[in-house]
Amino acid sequence: MKLWVLALLPSAALAEPAVPVFLADTGGISAAYEGDYYFMVGGGPAVFDCSGDRKPDLYVPGGAAAGSLWVNESPVGGAFAFGRATSGAELADVTGAYPLDIDGDGVLDLVLLRLGQTQLMRGLGGCRFEAANDLWRFKAPEDWTTAFAATFESGADWPTLAFGAYIDREASTFPWGTCTENLLYRGAAGRFDEALPLAPSYCALSMLFTDWNGSGLPSLRVSNDREYYKGGQEQMWHLEPGAPPRLWTEDEGWARLRIWGMGIASADVTGDGVPDYFLTSMADNKLQVLKDPAAGVPIYLDVAGKRGVTAHRPYVGGDVRPSTAWHAEFGDVNNDGLADLYVVKGNVAEMPDFAWLDPNNLLLQGADGAFQEVGDRAGVASMKVGRGGAVADFNLDGALDLVAVNRWEAVEIWRQEAALGSFVQVALHLPGANRDAIGAVLEVRRGDRVERREVTVGGGHAGGQLGWRHIGLADAQAVDVRVIWPGGVAGDWLTLEAGGFYDVTPEAATEWRP
Amino acid sequence: MACLRAVLIGLILGVTALPAHARDGAALRGEVLFGWYDLVLELVRHTPTYSPPVAARAFAYVGVISHEAQAALDPRARTLAGQLNGLTAFPEAKAGAAFDGAVVLDAALGAAMAGFFGNTGPTGQRAMQAMGDAMALRVEDGLDPEVVARSRALGLAIAAHVADWAETDGGAVVENMGFPHDYSFGEDPDDWQPTSTIALQQAPLLPDWGKVRPFAMPAATACPVAPHPAFSKEQGSDFHANALAVYHASKALTPEQEEIARFWSDDPMLSPTPPGHWVSIVLQIARRDGLSADRTAGALAVLGVAVADGFIGCWHEKYVYNLVRPVTYIKRYIDPEWETLLITPPFPEYPSGHSVQSGAAEAALTAVFGEDFAFDDATHEDDGLAVRHFASFREAAEEAAVSRLYGGIHYPFANANGLEQGRCIGAFAAGLRLEK
Repeated sequence: MKLWVLALLPSAALAEPAVPVFLADTGGISAAYEGDYYFMVGGGPAVFDCSGDRKPDLYVPGGAAAGSLWVNESPVGGAFAFGRATSGAELADVTGAYPLDIDGDGVLDLVLLRLGQTQLMRGLGGCRFEAANDLWRFKAPEDWTTAFAATFESGADWPTLAFGAYIDREASTFPWGTCTENLLYRGAAGRFDEALPLAPSYCALSMLFTDWNGSGLPSLRVSNDREYYKGGQEQMWHLEPGAPPRLWTEDEGWARLRIWGMGIASADVTGDGVPDYFLTSMADNKLQVLKDPAAGVPIYLDVAGKRGVTAHRPYVGGDVRPSTAWHAEFGDVNNDGLADLYVVKGNVAEMPDFAWLDPNNLLLQGADGAFQEVGDRAGVASMKVGRGGAVADFNLDGALDLVAVNRWEAVEIWRQEAALGSFVQVALHLPGANRDAIGAVLEVRRGDRVERREVTVGGGHAGGQLGWRHIGLADAQAVDVRVIWPGGVAGDWLTLEAGGFYDVTPEAATEWRP
Repeated sequence: MACLRAVLIGLILGVTALPAHARDGAALRGEVLFGWYDLVLELVRHTPTYSPPVAARAFAYVGVISHEAQAALDPRARTLAGQLNGLTAFPEAKAGAAFDGAVVLDAALGAAMAGFFGNTGPTGQRAMQAMGDAMALRVEDGLDPEVVARSRALGLAIAAHVADWAETDGGAVVENMGFPHDYSFGEDPDDWQPTSTIALQQAPLLPDWGKVRPFAMPAATACPVAPHPAFSKEQGSDFHANALAVYHASKALTPEQEEIARFWSDDPMLSPTPPGHWVSIVLQIARRDGLSADRTAGALAVLGVAVADGFIGCWHEKYVYNLVRPVTYIKRYIDPEWETLLITPPFPEYPSGHSVQSGAAEAALTAVFGEDFAFDDATHEDDGLAVRHFASFREAAEEAAVSRLYGGIHYPFANANGLEQGRCIGAFAAGLRLEK
């Protein structure tokens, strides 16, 4: 028998993308995600502007402790400074948070996922909120809520919300197989209807309304934690206006996949015009690309290995046990025009078969489409027990910054020292109910390649953001963008000059200066 | 299964508690045994290192503990010390002192859980604690505290004796989920190659598991599998014909064959594993027939030993033959677009592990319960798979074996020869004496 020796960790050193430099800078935020068993999942922050200055503020769920809202007082391009607000959203038992303008008043509201009653918080302006479940006739989930997504269905004047639930919190001896019901809420005219069940439910930790095949009609992807379901798998629901949700089936091409699904990040990584999905899990993570975009059949190939994003074990720190991944988010952190990937890692608690020193990942995409790990070189390889996270430009300098929400230890924020290339940032606006154009597609044209970016609320691990959409330009002086507005109407191609912030409506693009 | 579990939960919470004056020791021992074993079937699913060989090892040790915890107080019972390789005499119950069998068993099984499933996650830890607390309340109710303490000490001593024995078998430490960090592959066309895109599974599972000390069989090589047909990529060869059989089976699967493939798939961390499936069968039979805790524990011990030895013997042969999987062969020589119904496991093909361990289970359980012993199997009812009926353990084992053909996982010869190897191995467990 001839022999050859396996190299288990092949070097991904191909093209060398520019490595950004990050500095630890919490700006005074001291919040942590506290609690034990009931807060082993969750911890996703909401990133959005509540103060009106267009800079992202940060709501941090506190788990067993009270959640906290931190107002961004950072100077443009400067060191971070956050002040704690008295917001009215200081609820305990919050597992995650997403911003959404539910009532279309132009002030972002907050959706607080909780152990116990989920709470919709109406934004009042000035970073103040009021409980609004009763106001909006929202019969809230009362279980252990761990996932959320929102969309505006065709013609709707009120958002459709999906909530994912975890295990029966009362079950102690035999909690496995007790996943409680995920729910879908539709509504109209300022109030929500009775919830529709998204049954069967398999302990969802991430949900995302996504137009996966570019049909103009989004479906609801649900990533489920196989630790607790029986007979379950990853799911995708048809969502036809006015019709009850129904699952995509094997007969329609949906293939059985069973992972410890914890987070969904989406981006058009391959440039084929439809979203690709990075799914976090334990050990190997998945990067799913649609096998045949022209066919419109939901058959996905896992290209995580080929693209170098399995991120299955620590790359620094000496712990070789498998990793545990939670929040994931794409963003062009080095402004080279290619989507990079940030993953927050951390042991469930102290599981001995998984890494305890489990650094967060920052995976930079190279020109050949392969990603390479630079978390340690970039300075973001935290070994804390991470859960939620975010990729956002907090000081509006055009360089994306990173957030990690940790169990039992303070939030970490890394400020990027300086933008490595040029950029533009775009905010989409619509009149009427869907003020932030949820469901729109932002097209970015670079030469022959058109990258399509969905405007979504959902995904990640229990947290999300609304605000500026960052586009890295490398050394380009301008970029062509176009918006496919909800409903399918395409705007005109716009040429946006580098370095600018643009408010884009169906009628015009207006530059805004920080 | 869900219904039985509800009854159990009711029992351990005291909902149907017997009056204090009517303490029924035999019934309590049954509650203890079934309660902890129901939890074992969940813990084995939710403890990351528990691939089928590792799970089988745990089932063997827990089975031995269950038997010995009862044998310690039963003059009719025969210890397995001296019958199993390396197992020395157990600590004995102090003569003339009062013990309670349910407390002894509860203490022993509680310690076994902590010892063998200590790596489970926070939910499993919480479940073990909750089960332990509920069981203690149940079995200690109304007992003299000195009897409780004495009985707990004996149960813990029995579990500790087995734990010490287990530490020396070569299988106690499993790192990186059982996948070696470095591995030397063969590069001949018949040599196994990785079949998974999962980065962690690019080296084969537990290549040294054949070196683990067997339980009842004298050595891992005691029952060698018959050689497989000579490897050949030529059409018309026996080997090619076997590969074609896998291919054609996959193209013509009936709904029942697909159901059979999924029913026996028993994927690690998504099921109780293949050996746990057989443990589940025994528990269902015991509940149906109202078997005593003693008899059930004996059956579980013999079964555990059989499947554990089955995996040791099978794994030894797998790394002797190091045979390429059907998915690799068929894509190379028959149809590059072919895909299997089930995910191919990350280790060499020959012989089939499911077949070997099922053959061993068949031999062991036929010895315990007899030929033509019919039963229903609802192991996967919670997972949405229908109950299946079997006229005998042999019929079940043969269906488990052919399920791997339907799943595209194994050549027919690997299933047939694997069953035979398993039956040979299981005969050693079947020969264990549980009574004097």
